[in-house]
Amino acid sequence: MCDTCGCGAPPVRKITVNERLLASNASLAEHNRAHLAERKILAINLMGTPGAGKTALLEAMIAGWRDSRRIRVIEGDQATDRDSARIRAAGATACQVETGLGCHLDAHQIHDALHQLALQHGDLLFIENVGNLVCPALFDLGERLRVVVTSPTEGVDKPLKYPPMFRGAHFVVLNKSDLLPHVPFNLGEWTGYVRAINPHARILETCALDGAGVGELLAAIDGVREAFFAGVSA
Amino acid sequence: MHELSLARDLLAAIERNLDRPGLRVVRVNLSVGSASGVASDSLRFAFRALAEGTCANGAELAIATVPARCRCANCGTVFDFGGMIGHCPVCAQLGGELVSGNEMLLQAIEVTDV
Repeated sequence: MCDTCGCGAPPVRKITVNERLLASNASLAEHNRAHLAERKILAINLMGTPGAGKTALLEAMIAGWRDSRRIRVIEGDQATDRDSARIRAAGATACQVETGLGCHLDAHQIHDALHQLALQHGDLLFIENVGNLVCPALFDLGERLRVVVTSPTEGVDKPLKYPPMFRGAHFVVLNKSDLLPHVPFNLGEWTGYVRAINPHARILETCALDGAGVGELLAAIDGVREAFFAGVSA
Repeated sequence: MHELSLARDLLAAIERNLDRPGLRVVRVNLSVGSASGVASDSLRFAFRALAEGTCANGAELAIATVPARCRCANCGTVFDFGGMIGHCPVCAQLGGELVSGNEMLLQAIEVTDV
């Protein structure tokens, strides 16, 4: 090839593809979703900041459903099985996924975890994602319901700073509501930002530690479960 | 950080779409919606690292960012914007319902014979 003008370079040919990125994750997520639907299992992708109280909220939900629902939990963390130990202590079955350098769970990891959990017809499956407001937003796991947990100490503007996470949520939960009188957090301003990003999300307030609002969250999830099963033929 | 996962996925999609052996990839055309949250520089960096020793070693990753489209929750105007969130040009309301802008599409691969 000539160094001056590039003449004599091998011809370049274009191959048209038009394929979505993460298509393999999306197809495996659909596989997970179909597998769960056949068994009437509602899967919930629980996302949020580290320290928002996702695991504490799960413990409170497990306590609230103790006599009426079988709950299975896939726990995603970069390291340790501390959260799955907490879930087992609270009375539910748990499977830990340590993501190592990974900053999110993906549909492949959930597929493997589904085979480890002895899932039964009608179970509720929670997937507690890696605490992170960025990466988990991009990866469909095969869930039916996406719940984002945040808290007043994080400030009012998280929805504006992390739009994809809040945009994809069905429920946005403001946990640690007992802190509202003690921290400079304007609830109306925060609600406005959530609405700006996601006009349709259901907004709930909870306090995992004293149980405030947890009943409403359980009822909201049960409502989704019933609507989902009504649409799935037996 | 998730750009590493995207780059891995992209490389697999490229290798899957080559129509015969003995090709070298010189350029990859990708279009991403501005609301997708993909950091182009991070994606290029991860792709360059992963492509070493493959058919796409040294390939240029050309990323076209497509404006996102939103429906204002206040007045219903449909408007385009760059970035991840925009203001309605009619009533100045922030945000709204996203119509498009999350796409990540591998459009084409430009190849030569080795």
